Amino acid sequence: MEYQFKGNEDIIVVNVETDGPERFCATIDDRRREVVCRRISDYQLHLTVDGRQVTAFVAETPEGKAVMIEGRTWLLEDTAATQTRRRGARRGGPSQVSPPMPAVVTKLLVAEGDPVEKGQAVVVVSAMKMDTTLTAPFDGLVTRINVAEGDKVTPKQVLVDIAPTENEQSASAA
Amino acid sequence: MFKKILVANRGEIALRIMRTCREMGIATVAVYSEADERALHALEADEAIPIGPAEPAASYLDIERIIAAARQSGAEAIHPGYGFLAENAAFAERCQAEGIVFIGPPAQVIRDLGDKVVARRIMLQGGVPVIPGMTEEAGDPSAWAAQAEAIGYPVLIKAAAGGGGKGMRVVERPRELLDACQEASREAAAAFGSGAIYMEKFLAKSRHVEVQILADTRGNVVHLFERECSIQRRHQKIIEETPSPALTPALRAAMGRAAVAAARAAGYVNAGTVEFILEPEGNFYFLEVNTRLQVEHPITEMTTGVDLVRHQIDIAAGRPLALSQDDLAARGHAIECRIYAEDPEQNFFPSPGKIVFLQEPSGPGVRNDCGVYAGAEVPVEYDPILSKLVVHAETRSQAIRRMIRALESYAVLGVKTSIGFLIDVLASRPFADGETTTDFIPTHFADWRPGGERRDLAVIAAAADALAPRARAAFNGTEAAAVCPGPFQTLGHWRL
Repeated sequence: MEYQFKGNEDIIVVNVETDGPERFCATIDDRRREVVCRRISDYQLHLTVDGRQVTAFVAETPEGKAVMIEGRTWLLEDTAATQTRRRGARRGGPSQVSPPMPAVVTKLLVAEGDPVEKGQAVVVVSAMKMDTTLTAPFDGLVTRINVAEGDKVTPKQVLVDIAPTENEQSASAA
Repeated sequence: MFKKILVANRGEIALRIMRTCREMGIATVAVYSEADERALHALEADEAIPIGPAEPAASYLDIERIIAAARQSGAEAIHPGYGFLAENAAFAERCQAEGIVFIGPPAQVIRDLGDKVVARRIMLQGGVPVIPGMTEEAGDPSAWAAQAEAIGYPVLIKAAAGGGGKGMRVVERPRELLDACQEASREAAAAFGSGAIYMEKFLAKSRHVEVQILADTRGNVVHLFERECSIQRRHQKIIEETPSPALTPALRAAMGRAAVAAARAAGYVNAGTVEFILEPEGNFYFLEVNTRLQVEHPITEMTTGVDLVRHQIDIAAGRPLALSQDDLAARGHAIECRIYAEDPEQNFFPSPGKIVFLQEPSGPGVRNDCGVYAGAEVPVEYDPILSKLVVHAETRSQAIRRMIRALESYAVLGVKTSIGFLIDVLASRPFADGETTTDFIPTHFADWRPGGERRDLAVIAAAADALAPRARAAFNGTEAAAVCPGPFQTLGHWRL
């Protein structure tokens, strides 16, 4: 059985051969590990990986499985599920003007047709009493404003469309 | 002594205050907004009174509603905690007019010190060193540039009524000044009801060192040593420790004396904190007085063994200070980490939501002042602090190890937290070396991402989670608590 997870932009493939209800071998990048897994609760797993005991806390979130081990958290997206969920939606990422969390647009600083420089402030959003300025991810031209002041906006929503200027395009293609 | 105290706050600080009240045999009244009907502070108090909608202005900041709740419950005193109405002079005045004791300094002291510009003037007159900067508010936008030039870049824009990093901006270059001032002013107006700002010189390689004071109504003032709070993001502290790795005994004594002088100059009463900026050469300057209990007060409680809230209540009840300066000594080393629902990979942006799983750390020298539980909602309307994790150990290096151990056993699922980030900061060489200047995070952890060493384990855990069937039918995280209510949801009113 093969699982594919995406974490921090890396795709990690893990091959799993089960050996009884609580035992399996996991292979990642040609490294094979023997695993014993006991489920403690819906959110807690007790693992023994090549003899080392580890407690993992796991929950499903809208962004994938949140796995917490020794204070560190990984968000691991099941890549097959991602494609279904995101079909038709625009790809999120740092190359767009999107709020990092649910917020309200407090100020639009550019208009359609404006040229913008990378790092230039384009929209101010407010959440939890905090103003955050969203900046242009690259040099370009504002082709469309998708929101108005006072609008509630969510992560991955593109607030302002910016068409990159030519040299920027060739730079990103290189 | 009071028989009943209303706590005009929420979350971990409301709970912390109620715990001392309970130890003193004082009944507690909680207030809660519609967003906080199931918040832990509302569940744990002896009485809980609803005060309106989720927006702070219509509930926790609404003086009339808080006063009405105090009247209704018969509370004789109000503890404001930190934030909300804690440094609101009009609220302190209103309490006095109603014959309710405000557990904090007199209204006039809050007013004087709350205006950072007036405070600077008082300290100058009291012989306390202040940062080069303006002794008047920055009025006209056209004058800002000239003022910034006079002080010299980089300058720090601050809200005159400010606190908690709100309305604060560092300006490196003249062309950024206008935007920064306007943004700061707007943020200040939204947070404090006043958009007044002022400017001072920004001291980059400095440390933020503050001194805890206690003053009674009879003119007795003591200090309870320093706290170093230099590790900040967005000008908000996230790691605090005491003692400061930068202070010599002579400097500690000098700053303690300056803090007591500041308290006397202002006519201070109750618990307060005098904040200083400390330069590498050992010069220190008055920054501001926080006229309330600080978020980070527990580290002082750990090293001095003093319950600051108990002294606040005693002082408010008119009792003389039971401590003299000679009674006070600090032992060992304490560190606090603030655990926020926030995303360290997204510039520490708040991460509201439902906590689906929570396991708090424990063990020797570990204290977790926590305001949430598994199943609790972290509302978008308020500061997203979940808890304050505090450790105490014999030495600084042992305290660091203890904190890492505690953080590694802390599990929070459902919202993002800074726990992993905090571990890496504490485990870093510069932190171990005590190089805790206010530019620490931008200098050493600007583009932090979780390290790769446990990634394979996490992937194996994710695969194991997919393989090992859960006890119940599959459900997603957001519905988890509804499917499986915890004791905190099935219980109504309860006591520890």
